[in-house]
Amino acid sequence: MNAIGRTAVAVLRNGWGILLLIIVWQAWVTAMNFNAIVMPRPLGVLQDLIGFPEVYWKNAVYTIGAAVIGLVLGMALGTGLAILAWLSDVLEGMLTPLTVLFSSVPVVTIIPIVARLLGYDFSTVLAIVVIICFFPAFVFTTSGLKALPAGADDLFRVLGARTPARLLRLALPAAVPNWSVALRVAAGHAVLGAMIAEYLMGTAGLGYLFAETKSDFNMERAFGATAVAMVVSILFFAAALAVERRVKERWN
Amino acid sequence: MSRGGANRSGPARAALGIAGLLLFLCAWQAIGYYRLAGLSWPPLTDVIALLADPERWPLLGRALSATLAAMTAGYLLGIVLGLGAAVGAHMFPIAHPGTDRLAAVVNSIPSIALGPVFIVFLSRESTAAAIAAAHAAFIIYVAASSGLAAASRGHRDLLVVLGASRLSRLRHLDLPASLPSLSTGLKLAVPAALIGTIIGEWFGAPRGLGVLIVNAMQNFQIALLWSVVVLIASTSLALYSALSLLERACYARFA
Repeated sequence: MNAIGRTAVAVLRNGWGILLLIIVWQAWVTAMNFNAIVMPRPLGVLQDLIGFPEVYWKNAVYTIGAAVIGLVLGMALGTGLAILAWLSDVLEGMLTPLTVLFSSVPVVTIIPIVARLLGYDFSTVLAIVVIICFFPAFVFTTSGLKALPAGADDLFRVLGARTPARLLRLALPAAVPNWSVALRVAAGHAVLGAMIAEYLMGTAGLGYLFAETKSDFNMERAFGATAVAMVVSILFFAAALAVERRVKERWN
Repeated sequence: MSRGGANRSGPARAALGIAGLLLFLCAWQAIGYYRLAGLSWPPLTDVIALLADPERWPLLGRALSATLAAMTAGYLLGIVLGLGAAVGAHMFPIAHPGTDRLAAVVNSIPSIALGPVFIVFLSRESTAAAIAAAHAAFIIYVAASSGLAAASRGHRDLLVVLGASRLSRLRHLDLPASLPSLSTGLKLAVPAALIGTIIGEWFGAPRGLGVLIVNAMQNFQIALLWSVVVLIASTSLALYSALSLLERACYARFA
């Protein structure tokens, strides 16, 4: 089989479900003769994406900005607090039940509260992403800091290592694989969380574009915004997955 | 003395946990009482008073039962879809990579974008349940797929040698082996389904906790807004804890 044939088979093996989804969508809309106001065709969405890239680009940058800054802040906050909890077992004892409590709470439902507190603008979108990313960072780093190789901590203590040295040379390196799992979990949620917050109260971004165009019955652009958000979200996830794989190779 | 990853005894840990919780509640009350965060942060006592007021119960009860009904329907449908896809991909390995990709892409569709689609194809009333089903199905699919691959090679070879059919291998080996992983998925799918229901209700469901949240936000009914969020959080926590028990039982029996 030649190279093109092999590629086609690989694409079909991996992508048959997605292709089927798009074909069923196109066929359904054509068969039911839906108006584009109700339900756009995939081709119409594609045309709008190619025809007006700057609309999508501007809003995507806003959403990506919120997602990246929120991801960095949320991961930093979660990791920092996990390290503080490692240093002080009083703090750890007080924080652990609280975070277990909060991590099972649907974060999306507090968007209206945060919006009331911070205002209907970028800061609320950012705060939601920070909160969404904080919990996995804290939970996974906390367990990672304790996932030490058997006997390593005893060895460090016997050799007279102080707490800072045990943290820097033992616990933190041991926590890196778990931390990279947290990054993957948080990265996937960051974009979608930002988009929901923008949809509810934003002034810009893909979620806002979606809400605006939907209420103007410009469904092709609304679906275009969705498609861009999906691609961004998948790219975030894939990047974090690549980091996780590299970490796993390096650490095993 | 022994700082850094030291473990305390059980009672000491419980006392610390309770202290942390109390500190959190006191901070909430103080911020609300002294208006440190403005008018939008009510004291804890206001929220408790509202939740304890029998005159509010019919309103909250109607909304809660509508949300729970939609969530349960979505959750069960999600289990059927997720488990069905995982078993299908397990029985027909050639379809597996494509099913994985499809699941990942469907999961990356922003749930607010699912709303308008479901409103077109279904109805306003069932949109909440449909989004809940989409959220739950992905988690169940991932958990079931990894669970179905969990049986040991030795067991699988033994059944093949003894001439077991694909179906009886599924029934007697792979499905039981998948239960621990599946039970974790069932637990994690609960908050996800609840989020899906609330988001679905934002698209114009006639009643439900999500509707109540948006109304309270727009009418500046701050205590009501917080009460509804507390109600949702407690519901999520209660269901999550109940399924944690199921998960523990599954691990004890099958893992």
